[in-house]
Amino acid sequence: MASPKTVPKDAQVMMQILKDMGITEYEPRVINQMLEFTYRYVTTIIEDAKIYSTHAKKSNVDADDIRLAIQCRVDQSFTSPPPRDFLLDIARQKNQTPLPLIKPYTGPRLPPDRYCLTAPNYRLKSLQKKVSSSAGRITVPRLSVGAVSSRPSTPTLGTPSVQTVGTKVGTPVSLTGQRFTVQIPSSQATSVKSATPTTPTVQNVLINPSLIGSKNILITTNMVSQNSSSDSTSLKRKHEDEDDYDAL
Amino acid sequence: MAAVQDGPMELDAEKEAKPEILSDGTSNLSGNTASGTLSSSPLTAAPAGGAPKMEDQQTLIAVLQFLKRNKLSESVEILRREAGLGEHQEGSQATDGSGGGKGDGDGGDANSLLSRVSITSAAAPQSMPVKSDCIINIFRCDLPFMFMLSEDQPDVSVVLSAYSQQGDPPLYQVYYSGLKNFIESVLDCHRAELSQLFYPLFVHMYLELVYNNHETEAKAFFDKFSGDQECYYQDDLHILCGLTKKEHLKGNEVLLDFRTSRFVLHISRDSYQLLKRHLQERHNNQIWNIIQEHLYIDIFDGMPRSKSQIDSMSGSLAGEAKREVNKAKVFYGLLKEPEIEVPLDDEDDEAENEEGKPKKKKTKKDSLGSKSKKQDPNAPQQNRIPLPELKDSDKLDKIMYMKESTKRIRLGPENLPSICFYTFLNAFQGLTAVDFTDDSSLLAGGFADSTVRVWSVTPKKLRKVKSAGELNVIEKESDDVLERIMDEKTASESKILHGHSGPVYGVSFSPDRNYLLSSSEDGTVRLWSLQTFTCLVGYKGHNYPVWDTHFSPFGYYFVSGGHDRVARLWATDHYQPLRIFAGHLADVTCTRFHPNSNYVATGSTDRTVRLWDVLNANCVRILTGHKGPIHSLAFSPNGKFLASGSTDGRVLLWDIGHGLMIGELKGHTDTIYALKFSRDGEILASGSMDNTVRLWDSMKAFDEVETDDFTATTGHIHLPDNSQELLLGMYHSKSTPVTHLHFTRRNLLLAAGAYNSQ
Repeated sequence: MASPKTVPKDAQVMMQILKDMGITEYEPRVINQMLEFTYRYVTTIIEDAKIYSTHAKKSNVDADDIRLAIQCRVDQSFTSPPPRDFLLDIARQKNQTPLPLIKPYTGPRLPPDRYCLTAPNYRLKSLQKKVSSSAGRITVPRLSVGAVSSRPSTPTLGTPSVQTVGTKVGTPVSLTGQRFTVQIPSSQATSVKSATPTTPTVQNVLINPSLIGSKNILITTNMVSQNSSSDSTSLKRKHEDEDDYDAL
Repeated sequence: MAAVQDGPMELDAEKEAKPEILSDGTSNLSGNTASGTLSSSPLTAAPAGGAPKMEDQQTLIAVLQFLKRNKLSESVEILRREAGLGEHQEGSQATDGSGGGKGDGDGGDANSLLSRVSITSAAAPQSMPVKSDCIINIFRCDLPFMFMLSEDQPDVSVVLSAYSQQGDPPLYQVYYSGLKNFIESVLDCHRAELSQLFYPLFVHMYLELVYNNHETEAKAFFDKFSGDQECYYQDDLHILCGLTKKEHLKGNEVLLDFRTSRFVLHISRDSYQLLKRHLQERHNNQIWNIIQEHLYIDIFDGMPRSKSQIDSMSGSLAGEAKREVNKAKVFYGLLKEPEIEVPLDDEDDEAENEEGKPKKKKTKKDSLGSKSKKQDPNAPQQNRIPLPELKDSDKLDKIMYMKESTKRIRLGPENLPSICFYTFLNAFQGLTAVDFTDDSSLLAGGFADSTVRVWSVTPKKLRKVKSAGELNVIEKESDDVLERIMDEKTASESKILHGHSGPVYGVSFSPDRNYLLSSSEDGTVRLWSLQTFTCLVGYKGHNYPVWDTHFSPFGYYFVSGGHDRVARLWATDHYQPLRIFAGHLADVTCTRFHPNSNYVATGSTDRTVRLWDVLNANCVRILTGHKGPIHSLAFSPNGKFLASGSTDGRVLLWDIGHGLMIGELKGHTDTIYALKFSRDGEILASGSMDNTVRLWDSMKAFDEVETDDFTATTGHIHLPDNSQELLLGMYHSKSTPVTHLHFTRRNLLLAAGAYNSQ
């Protein structure tokens, strides 16, 4: 411990406080930590008090502002445990219910999954099947983008279940001027919601030729959850959004 | 106010003195004291003419309060004069529990008076509520109504508003000196008992001065009289010394609890008569008022206690324990062990492999439980609390346990255990909790860097279960499937568990070695799986540091205790606690289950040990006597006794059945953090911060207990000072404080601590 003569006054005061509280053994860094805390606390309080006093349109900060500032801080940071009567009250309520019976043979006895930490807190990125012509294909969408780009895609593609695309295409939806891509989501760990087939192979997409517009249909086969970037933003696919970006 | 509780014999004599002391003769003690409050008002109203007058009183007081709030002081004076409120309150001061009803009080007085009057009106004066759930505790009766009445005042002011002006501030010194002189002048035999009054009176008077903003007088009062107090109250006095303003009292829950609860004193009838006579002779009854309001004097018939007897039992923040509190029946016996048929072949194989012993006889029944077919009268029913059923793996464990126990060394004064010390190096004072599994195969450490580390004590490494993908491909029908599911690639001697966000203050293994619990400063208790070494559940309930946690000896339940002054009972499959054990005045620092899992012992910073019943969370025992916060508890294996260790360096032994202190083991010079009984209860090992492990002869300590009728009823034991005889051995470590002790199944003592290089 530094000799008292060379220690700044604030630190001397802190050492005296510790002595008065009966603390005789402490690491030297404790003084520094206490001083830091003191400076930070006092500064916070005074700043808060200044804000309150300007809010009240007073010219000076007075004791009431300080008191208010302290009060607000105490409720925020330095909370204290509930008072005794409150604890006794809730204890009484809780203790009235009898102990629940234990079901036999239930395996690990854990609370409902919602309250456990056993759920995965990550989602896997989709695996991409690299196709040789992928580079070429990528440019193709670019061509039609110019024609189409502003059009929002059909809502039919927004559904997670892709095998219904065929039927949906059959519906009388005007496809002129709309470009759509057939997307077949890959097998993913999280695709439990969709009943999509897990195989990333091509699906036979039945498209009613009569509805096909002039130049706008791009059937991307062998692509696995590919989508051009322009469309991906507008496609509101529920769960596979992020996967789509990484293909390009 | 019923500040005094007499035995039933004195009922008639007391009835005459009813205006002063109310005792009802009902067996429900707290019912008495609460009903004392409640019945005081009808008594004061009775001389004034019965029930209707009371309601008028109420309205008058409400009007008074309203006027005061609106600062119409002259009207207040006029009203008071005309209604005769001031004098009336003065006259009924001694009887009425509303100590706040002084004529010259401020708004707080009328408030408290109002609140107290409404308490009395809330319950029908004739019917003394004896139901335990609405009696709760005396210290409660003031508060809830105060809260309801004065919503605009901050809670603290409301709570403390009963600290009304009891007299002139400068006179407090006079009152206290007067009492001091009186007590010094009485006979020696009474002096020790009456000296118990000094500390609670001193604290209450000081707090009153502080609350009423008489800072200089408070300081002067403190300086003059704090030196007179007993040495074991010095820590409290340090805290009080720093409290000089009313604002300091806010948020200090411990002091608030102290002020609202009643400090219990045991005083013999003769001493009490002396005191009463003296205080009532004097004109200003300030001290008497404080006694009535804040103290509870439990009178007993018999010889006054000696100083040493008093010293051994006092020291807690709430005084001693009322006699009635420790009278509830406690089922301290052990539950019957289930009968397990040990199959012949398994046992033979193992026995021959290990020791080459000759084949054992035919199926050996579990010898532990089949001793008596009759129910032990002191044991709880098997189904008193629901317990998990015994799984096959548990049965195998039990068989192992039995086998190990046959090889157990019998310990005794001539046969001391060997001690194996596990020293944690490079912990840099960060080791905050340690636990061993029952079969001593795993060791867990909780650290200040918020990690929990698990080590394997045996040469067998720690393995976790394989991931789902790998589990798919193993052959499920093979015989060693349990081995195959374990991942060999990541086997290691130790595993680190991350998850907490604050230092880990308590760890506890489950008896089936599947789970580990850890409690931390972040307010959560986490359940970790020892199969996958991941966290399964975080139990949030305490919002403040949780100081200790402990699994039940049968698994499934666990208890945790923390800074919020309660202990909670949880089950692993409920995300909310099942029971809340509220009653301590300060943090709960240590929690332990009784071997029969029906009771939980908690030690606290308020220097008491409480025993709670798991079934209905009633506090069945309050054990006072420690002079410092309690940091370790241990039940004896037969369930009858409890040992507790605290910062004062003493280990106290308690008889749970009677609720009495039966032994005191002095010797340690620093806080005792580890206490463990040997497997058969013959030896008690204690480890402390003074780097020593001491072994005590607990068999002898328990044998010497004589509980005759007097001690059983009054709880006044004369403890033999035999610590030196009971000490069997003292073992120093170089500079490693002992954090944990554990007896293996064969009675080898394991100790754990972190090397302290300073």
